[in-house]
Amino acid sequence: MNDQILIEKAKESLKDKVLEITNPAPRRLFMKVAVGNLLEAVNWLKKEMGFSHLSTISGVDLGQSFEILYHFANNFCSFTLRTEISRENPLLPSICALIPGAILYERELQEMFGITVQNIPDPRPLLLPDNWPAGNYPLRKDWKYERPAEVIPGGKK
Amino acid sequence: MNFQIPIGPQHPALKEPIGLRVVVEGEIIRDADLRLGYNHRGIEKLAESKTWIQNIYLEERICGICSHSHTTCYVQGVEKLMEIQPPKRGLYIRTLVAELERIHSHLLWLGVAGHEAGFDSFFMYVWRDREIVMDILETISGNRVHYANNTIGGVRRDLDELQVKHILDSLEILRKRSEFYKNLGTKEPSFVARLAGVGYLSKEDAITLCAVGPTLRASGVPMDVRKDDPYAVYDEVPFEVCTADTCDVLGRTVVRIKEILESYNIIEFLLKNLPAGPIAVRAPRRPKPNEVISRYEAPRGELIYYIKSNGTEKPERIKVRAPTLGNYAATIKMLKKGFIADVPLIFAAIDPCIACAERAVAIVDARTGQEKVVPMNILRQSSQKKSANKERKREVEWPL
Amino acid sequence: MATLKILIYLIVCPGLFFLFIYSTFCEWFDRKLYARFQNRMGPTHTGRWGLLQPIADFFKLMAKEDIVPDRADKGMFSALPPFGLAIVSTAMLLLPIWNYDLEKPSLTSFNGDIIVILYLLSLPTFIFFLAGWSSTNLFSTIGAARVLTMLFGYEVPLFLSVLSPAVLANSWRLAEIAAFYRQHPLLILVNLLSFVIALICVQAKLERTPFDIPHAETEIVGGTFTEYSGKKLALFRLMIDVEMVVAAGLLAAVFLGGFSGGLVIGLINFIIKTLLVIFFLSLIKATTSRIRVDQVVSFSWKYLAPLAVLQLLIVILVKGLIS
Repeated sequence: MNDQILIEKAKESLKDKVLEITNPAPRRLFMKVAVGNLLEAVNWLKKEMGFSHLSTISGVDLGQSFEILYHFANNFCSFTLRTEISRENPLLPSICALIPGAILYERELQEMFGITVQNIPDPRPLLLPDNWPAGNYPLRKDWKYERPAEVIPGGKK
Repeated sequence: MNFQIPIGPQHPALKEPIGLRVVVEGEIIRDADLRLGYNHRGIEKLAESKTWIQNIYLEERICGICSHSHTTCYVQGVEKLMEIQPPKRGLYIRTLVAELERIHSHLLWLGVAGHEAGFDSFFMYVWRDREIVMDILETISGNRVHYANNTIGGVRRDLDELQVKHILDSLEILRKRSEFYKNLGTKEPSFVARLAGVGYLSKEDAITLCAVGPTLRASGVPMDVRKDDPYAVYDEVPFEVCTADTCDVLGRTVVRIKEILESYNIIEFLLKNLPAGPIAVRAPRRPKPNEVISRYEAPRGELIYYIKSNGTEKPERIKVRAPTLGNYAATIKMLKKGFIADVPLIFAAIDPCIACAERAVAIVDARTGQEKVVPMNILRQSSQKKSANKERKREVEWPL
Repeated sequence: MATLKILIYLIVCPGLFFLFIYSTFCEWFDRKLYARFQNRMGPTHTGRWGLLQPIADFFKLMAKEDIVPDRADKGMFSALPPFGLAIVSTAMLLLPIWNYDLEKPSLTSFNGDIIVILYLLSLPTFIFFLAGWSSTNLFSTIGAARVLTMLFGYEVPLFLSVLSPAVLANSWRLAEIAAFYRQHPLLILVNLLSFVIALICVQAKLERTPFDIPHAETEIVGGTFTEYSGKKLALFRLMIDVEMVVAAGLLAAVFLGGFSGGLVIGLINFIIKTLLVIFFLSLIKATTSRIRVDQVVSFSWKYLAPLAVLQLLIVILVKGLIS
């Protein structure tokens, strides 16, 4: 099954929920859907197209909005599902009910970008330490880090 | 009586810090939980402030054992962004170093599996042979880890006749010894008694929990990025995807040993068919604004990079998903039915290469059982405060 | 004169001084063999061929800081190491090296002393258990539980296999058993099966691979010894070495014909025979991997105990045949 057939099937099954679908290189497909249709698109990918392996979930800070990419992989194609959510109200439905392996990636999205994933089974932060000040989301473009001045204990002040 | 046992962050079974907390009843594990973040260095944020070439240096240092995987995956993606195609000889050398890295990583894992199981003799023998591979890598690139062989557009160092001969000779020795390990690892009764039936992950679980690499292939699922999504010269090289269907740690051992033997064949093919020509092309400074996904089969599993450029000489976003992160969800599932004695083995069987978080330490209060994770600088400050008022003890002077 | 002889016996040889030197020599022998089996060098630096390495380790540990955990039972925690060392040193006195007269029983060689040695050798297991238990550390508790679980496995086969030659020799006194086998060397072959079983059980008693489960480094950090450091750890390690010498001596006395020949030859006899037993123990250590504690118990009760009983039957048959 090659990329053309996949594009046609996508247009056929999801009709106008597909906002945009591109094929920039062999075995690479990018499809954009709106946030409300995300679960349905993932369901279609998993049940009918056989894409049950989720490689990872990437988040990109586009300035006014966040773009979330779900990278699915299969024996013959790497399919990326793209969706966009606003910066003021970043809400995203969780796909853990369909793909249990997505839990770690969604936890990372939550703490790195400040996105709230609804119905996530385990909302604890994944990577950052416990005393991380709330409201600091490192992977946002406007988060800058100033290295504190180096103090050598017991040395010259 | 339920006990909570912390394995890590500091534990002799772990080579890198990770917080694993298992709840046990006697020797049987009832529940497991994972705490990440002890090795995070903020690489994704850092990569946004460095140029494309500087990022090769940065990505290489994500991991020592699979450093070539990270640079190759990154450089492949950037080459697609810049729309350049490296010459054949460069691709062959890149694949050669990739397969050598796979061999040395799997030999390392075999030794570590032996050590975790208590079979130290096996560990010593396998690591002695790993030295042969490290010597080859040093002859090719000048370094035992962090080969720094990749650049955007090809590789940096060429191979000559003497090096090719040295590699082929060493392969003979390695092949003989690897056959011996195959027999030893799968037939020695006390070793097999430790590995068989441990860390069972059924085929359905492996697929739904999105496991990658030998963990997935030992459950009978033939997914290998080198076959599914060929990069470099894997579409010209004949090889087979190695699977096993016992779904336990013994299966993973067998898959890795088979992969070592396959790699020997691939390296021989590459060296015999090495084309002549240049090894790199010139790369432009700025790519057009675009995005690309690059996948690579690292020794531990599928490595995926998502790179987005915005037309300047610094990337807009680089997202790295190392293969071990993909295996964590499967690890928790595997731990839930085992014994304590199996925890290091199960954890070592996914070949952990923990490389994703800030430096922090967990303090468990022995009295209340409460746990906090605090960063290293605060820990240092609190310990300095405590010992500042104590007078120093005189050191014992020995006449020796 | 007699008191001087006894004092030399107790303190110099084969008492504490000789025991210290010899058990560290046995540890060196074991470490060197283990390393050579694994294609590495082992201790080479301290002393010629690294002979002084275990002594250096002992003194290094004695100089380190001794930390007692807050919640541990301080009295028991501190008292256990010297107590254990005393027990195994006492066991050493009962081996028939010198100072025994075959006709008259004496203080160190009397009827039933094989039972006393076996009893004294089981006590260190309880000392390890108490050491782990009184540390109140999670890993130590698991190690202590494992020590006792292993005890259920190997103790019965060990007793059965060590007592079979005693049944054949018709006596419960080590010196007499050794003398019996010196007179009838062919009967040593009857006990071959129990020699093998005893070797495996002694490996389990000394907690060496494949039975080093209680202090398995990669699983439970230090097991029973997690919280011990400094002088206490030095005494525990010395105790394990002395236990190895005593167990090897016991096996050599019962199975290999004892240590005859008076002052010098007897001592050389002792050294050679115990080194032979330790060679076998090192061979087992280098060629197997650790097994799980439930597998130890099932292995012992499925294979070792029935074979030990079989050996006892063979011994009874042979005894009936020769008399």
